[in-house]
Amino acid sequence: MINFETAAPVKLKGFGKGFWITLDPSHSEEVLISEIEKLLKKLKHLAVNADVVLDVGDAKGHEDLVQRIKLYLTKHFELGIVSTSPIKRSVPTERIRQRDLSKEWNQHRSDVLMLRGRVRSGQKINAKKHLVITGDVNPGAELIAGGDVIVLGKLSGKVHAGFPDKEDAIVFALGFNPSHVKIGSISASGSEDGVGSSPEFASVEKNKIIVRDYMKASPFRRMPWPEAI
Amino acid sequence: MEGKIIVVTSGKGGVGKTTATSSIGAALALEGNRVAIVDMDIGLRNLDVVMGLENRIVFNIVDVVLGRCKIEQAAIRDRRIDNLFLIPASQSDNKDVLTTAGVERVAKELVKQFDYVIMDSPAGIERGFENSIVGASEALVVCTPDVSAVRDADRVIGILYSRSLTPKLIVNRIEPARVKRGEMLSHEDVMEVLSIELAGLVPMDDKVLISSNTGTPLVLQNDSKAGQAFKRIARRLNGEEDVPFEVPTDRSSMWRKLSKTFGLTQ
Repeated sequence: MINFETAAPVKLKGFGKGFWITLDPSHSEEVLISEIEKLLKKLKHLAVNADVVLDVGDAKGHEDLVQRIKLYLTKHFELGIVSTSPIKRSVPTERIRQRDLSKEWNQHRSDVLMLRGRVRSGQKINAKKHLVITGDVNPGAELIAGGDVIVLGKLSGKVHAGFPDKEDAIVFALGFNPSHVKIGSISASGSEDGVGSSPEFASVEKNKIIVRDYMKASPFRRMPWPEAI
Repeated sequence: MEGKIIVVTSGKGGVGKTTATSSIGAALALEGNRVAIVDMDIGLRNLDVVMGLENRIVFNIVDVVLGRCKIEQAAIRDRRIDNLFLIPASQSDNKDVLTTAGVERVAKELVKQFDYVIMDSPAGIERGFENSIVGASEALVVCTPDVSAVRDADRVIGILYSRSLTPKLIVNRIEPARVKRGEMLSHEDVMEVLSIELAGLVPMDDKVLISSNTGTPLVLQNDSKAGQAFKRIARRLNGEEDVPFEVPTDRSSMWRKLSKTFGLTQ
């Protein structure tokens, strides 16, 4: 039985397609090597062609020791790739990305209002923050959102994003043809041209509302990392 | 078994609600159902004229709701179709004389006596409209292929949905030649915006005007395209499956194409 509790000179854990071996550099090289040999012999055929990662745990330095043991292992055992542990990333970035990817997003509470279906003439939808509609918005309907308005369908009708004064909000639609657009306190009337062939979005630039092709000028493309909203 | 109440509505005026109501009612009666057509357009009575029954009116729907007469006294039997009845609107009152509770009570009575009760709703979404949908179990939305009719129909469909009615769509007065020239929305355009189940497509037909003015049922005229379309709608409502949707086509241009092929014209 392998005892994980006591501080053994060598610890071995399953890792990916092989093993992760943690050495305690306070022991002598001979002790470490004999301990590793014992462990690998116990594993018998399981050690054949296994990839092995070597590290020294929380201790620093000892690169030469790890290198010597690495050489010894590749010479005496039929292992796969023997490597040293990858250099750890600085803790804060790692923690932020870990948090974003796993825990935080699970508990993320959002004020985003997401609706599916058709919004008809005479219907008025108020959203505290962002508004997402998967469906068409018919002429005569009205959308008001504290943040962005995203329409996965044809947007006709009247839309106010960034209510009352958030001018960095956008209005996006797969078929962009609103009768009236307002972002923050800036407004514009719809164009006569009808629906464009590609998805478009409206944003405020220099106190004017500009409509652009989303695939060519996505405002979110510049963001390097996804962010919960 | 209790009958069904079908409300015919549109939002916009002049799109053919009254014609649709009388034609579908007549067609359902011809299929052997006992049908009552109720004119809910209080103050702007029309259905009696369209059905050619204006000289026989004694009581009307207001009298029935206010308890001044019985349903049997107000229902006028059609001259040509035996099991078709009209309960006319009052011409002297306005829409506010009826309450939704009163109409609902009469509606419950009507379904006991008839297989189908067709309510002709007034234009608009005010009191008169509310009164006509209160007892309904099904709804038909009539829409012509023009932008303003579609907008109003859309609004009405939203209101019907909020009252748990799932309406079906009748696209009325389709003019294939004008659709082809791009002067008119096609029925596909209308259906794309309104996105509800289709009840039927009705072509533009000059015979409708003649039939309305002379008070003869459109569905009894075999050469009327609109009449035949309404008959098919009635069959679908009557539970008949697989009644094909006939898309109105432009016959004149068909002939022109054919004659071109055979070298008759240039």
